[in-house]
Amino acid sequence: MTLDRVVWSMLQEAMAVYRDSPRATAWLRSHAERYTEPVRIAVAGRSRIGKSTVVNALIGDEFTPQSSFVWYRGATEPRAHVFSGPGRPHEVTIGRRGSRNHVETGQVDRADRVVVEWPARSLRDVVLFDTPAEATPEQVLGDADALLYLMRHVQDEDLRFLRSANDHPIARNAAVHTVAVLARADEIGAGRIDALSSAKQIARRYRRDVAVQPLCQNVVSVAGLLAVAARTVREDEFAALRVLSSLGREELEDHLLSADRFVGEQFPLTMEPAVRQALLERFGIFGVRLITALIRQGFDSQVKLTGQLVQRSGLGELRDSIAIHFTERREVLKARSALLALDVLLRVEPRQQARKLVTDLERVVASAHDFRELRLVAALQSGRTKLPADLQGEALRLVGAEGTAPAVRLGFEYEADAGELREALLDALVRWQAQALDVHAPNDHRRAAQVVVRTCEGLLPRFG
Amino acid sequence: MAPPWLDVLDETIGACVTHRRPDLEARLREKRAQQLDPKLRVLVVGESKQGKSQLVNALLNAPVCAVGDDITTTVPTFVQHADTPSAALVRNASAGGSIFHTPTERIAVPIDQVTKQASAQSKHVVRAEIGIPRALLDSGLVLIDTPGVGDTRSAHTASTFATLMQADAVLLVSDATGELTSAEMTLLKKVMEACPNVTVVVTKIDLVPSWRAVVERNRALLARAGVPAKLIPVSSALRLRAAKTGDQRLNAESGFPDLLACVQRDIVASADLLARRAVAVVASSAITQLVTPLREELTAHDSSHTVATISTLQEAQRRVDELRRRSARWQNVLNDEMADLISDVEYDLRDRTRKILREVDKTYDEADPAIGWDKFEQWLEDNLNEAATTNFAWLMERAEWVAAKVARNFPVYREDLIPGSVLPDDLLEPASKLEKPKIEPFSVPQKLFTGLRGSYGGVLMFGLVTSLAGMPLINVISLGAGALFGGKSILDESDQRLKRRQAAAKAAAQRHVDDFFMKFSKDVRDSGRHIQRTLRNHFSTLAEELQETLLESARSAKRAVQDDQTERERRMREGRKELDKLVTLYKRVQALGGPAMELTA
Repeated sequence: MTLDRVVWSMLQEAMAVYRDSPRATAWLRSHAERYTEPVRIAVAGRSRIGKSTVVNALIGDEFTPQSSFVWYRGATEPRAHVFSGPGRPHEVTIGRRGSRNHVETGQVDRADRVVVEWPARSLRDVVLFDTPAEATPEQVLGDADALLYLMRHVQDEDLRFLRSANDHPIARNAAVHTVAVLARADEIGAGRIDALSSAKQIARRYRRDVAVQPLCQNVVSVAGLLAVAARTVREDEFAALRVLSSLGREELEDHLLSADRFVGEQFPLTMEPAVRQALLERFGIFGVRLITALIRQGFDSQVKLTGQLVQRSGLGELRDSIAIHFTERREVLKARSALLALDVLLRVEPRQQARKLVTDLERVVASAHDFRELRLVAALQSGRTKLPADLQGEALRLVGAEGTAPAVRLGFEYEADAGELREALLDALVRWQAQALDVHAPNDHRRAAQVVVRTCEGLLPRFG
Repeated sequence: MAPPWLDVLDETIGACVTHRRPDLEARLREKRAQQLDPKLRVLVVGESKQGKSQLVNALLNAPVCAVGDDITTTVPTFVQHADTPSAALVRNASAGGSIFHTPTERIAVPIDQVTKQASAQSKHVVRAEIGIPRALLDSGLVLIDTPGVGDTRSAHTASTFATLMQADAVLLVSDATGELTSAEMTLLKKVMEACPNVTVVVTKIDLVPSWRAVVERNRALLARAGVPAKLIPVSSALRLRAAKTGDQRLNAESGFPDLLACVQRDIVASADLLARRAVAVVASSAITQLVTPLREELTAHDSSHTVATISTLQEAQRRVDELRRRSARWQNVLNDEMADLISDVEYDLRDRTRKILREVDKTYDEADPAIGWDKFEQWLEDNLNEAATTNFAWLMERAEWVAAKVARNFPVYREDLIPGSVLPDDLLEPASKLEKPKIEPFSVPQKLFTGLRGSYGGVLMFGLVTSLAGMPLINVISLGAGALFGGKSILDESDQRLKRRQAAAKAAAQRHVDDFFMKFSKDVRDSGRHIQRTLRNHFSTLAEELQETLLESARSAKRAVQDDQTERERRMREGRKELDKLVTLYKRVQALGGPAMELTA
């Protein structure tokens, strides 16, 4: 039985055991519902790091930031509900403020959370949470299956947050799936025109950093404002930017030296200061610099520009990361969340009849192969388990650290046909079987090889 | 004339010496040397990637510190005046050790290579020094660029805090992309403790359209936290650009003229005020540290020490009582055990001799003592000896066991608790010799006589019977019968003699064994009593010694309680005097303009 079916049947069983307890039933029902939903991704980080901006960029629409948790869920109709205190949620309208959508929560004093249903393709296989900066790791991760953690440079405070996120027995066995994001990549490079590529390099360095690596699956850099711009740039804005780029390079540079100069009185073009102010707020000084430079380089249609911006801002890479680490792993992430929920229930309301569930839970956590793969990835990345350098890369790839599709696991960079895949798989299987039986290798080495072998065996039936 | 703060500082150093705090003393001496040094050190601190190095560059209008998007500065970099541009790395000659007290060596490097080389060997490099000709630095100003605080590589943070101790003034750098974080506020407060002259510099205002709002929020934050620090917004990028193009307006926009004026006015011009404030801060922190243990000692003195002495006394008395109680117990154990021992050993001996006697009886039911008596004698002697040895060995073993048991019941443990030897020396004198029983040999004439006597009856009996049949009295039949009868009586006689000999032998053996038993059991009893006496003497000597020791310690504890009282009073008086002195000194320090803290005796 696959992991998701096992966990599903455990949820059903728990519902049968606890059918007389309304609290437990409500809890289980909400988790069963959650089990069939898309992956829930929380976006967290310190205050003013750009959480809402990144969420907007991912959705592709702008929303005004709120001071509470905001969930964005895919739907056919735009709707918003406010949850506050016990009682029923009540519906609120979504209006517009300038170019942004605004959820009219005005009449509610303290919202626990706002749920926005929004028709967007990007919300088809994820549910996004925007979290307030002061939220604790427990609050952030309570409802989330995976975590997008925003930071500038990695500081102790950030590492503390990520560490405490993994401080639960089940979380320790199956770490929280996290992608760290160096947000505000444009500011990392002090707004220079090559800031983004140097931010990418820094992200690459952190990916190899021993302190950061065990805590997240990937580190990417994203220039939030630019990413939003890429998704939402409008006709009139584009026109204004084109006018700007028609100005001489030197001259424009002079006026782009500082934000004050850009909106100042002595601007050589007849352009309303309000328009300039709006451009600055939307794209930042760096955004204006980059976009005008791009237009000058020949990306002079909106489509071309959008493509460039998505790629340059790091949004593309972020979306790939989310796909590889979150949406492709949906089953495991959901199973993990459901097991955590069951664990909570079994602790809070222990029962005689639930004994079997307790042992089942323990067994699934300890032995489910998907979790063992995750544990091996974590162990290899943190250096707890050591393999020779050439084997380490292959082992990580095979157990799915770079993606769970068979072709990715087998290291094909092009569309290989089934025959080729099968051949590569059999080759890997034989080699790793030899590793697993190598009596001269240390114990952890052999154990890691056993997990890889099991992965290969699991892939085999797909190629008949 | 020496400035007033120097006297105060020297006195504080003196106080540190009297209170044996070499660590504080070293710190103050360093501060003193630094204050006497005409150089003014301005430290640039802040979290990583806030633009610290760029700020230094912009202040000097020269790219002296390397800037980069990743963590760049790894060691503190001292920028000071020099007639020609030069640079050097200062490294620890020996690896490890504190930053200040190890010999260092200077290595000259090209000015554009400083940062690269410093990060390449950052483990050993203590700091980098760069000298450039600049009017700003002419007055002895030294700008110190530091590695970012709060970086994951804590070595950087540590070296920043080490440098903080040498600073006359601090520029705390925070960029305008966000207001001061809680970590930065903590850092600011920490900096204020070591050096009160802090200016907050908000950098990168060129990047942020809403920098004015950020500056306002920061001012509010500082005011709320009660931190009297100035706040100046600047843009290094604009300043450097202005320097390149010579654009005065841009320079004014960059905010640097304000910062430079502030540095000139508040830091360079008021060096004496800075010195007084800095000295006030370090001296008062040192005095507070001196006062705290002193005060604790004064209060703790009254109670804890006396309590300790009294409890020693009580403990000693308790142990004397305990010893008395226990000595009755070990004596009982000794008596009981020895009585048991002696009766057991005697029973054992009797058992062994009886076994021997039974063996003797069995032997002489069959054997003839006349044959091999010597051998028997030897056997008996051997067996008795063996019985005696085994029995005695057992006695010794039991005696040692008893000694150990008594020792266990003794109140304390000592090395010499179990006596070395408990054996009496004069043991196992041989008992009297075994007497040979009287053995009547059955000689040939006796046999002849007995045979004749027996045959006489037979000849006569059968002769008379055959004479009736008309035969002579002496005939073949009567002679044959005579011979038969003679033979039988010889056999009977020798049988009886054997029985007698056997009885005699048994009796002799019995007597001998009895003698042996009598003698030996007496010996065993004597030995037992001897052992008992030895043990009793041994343990009672020990007990007496012990009791004497305990009584002595109780007596000395009692004396200590009395002595303590006077000693304590003397020390209390001294402590109070010291404390008063420190408080006076503290008041003088306060007069220099340090932070207003209350300190009383």
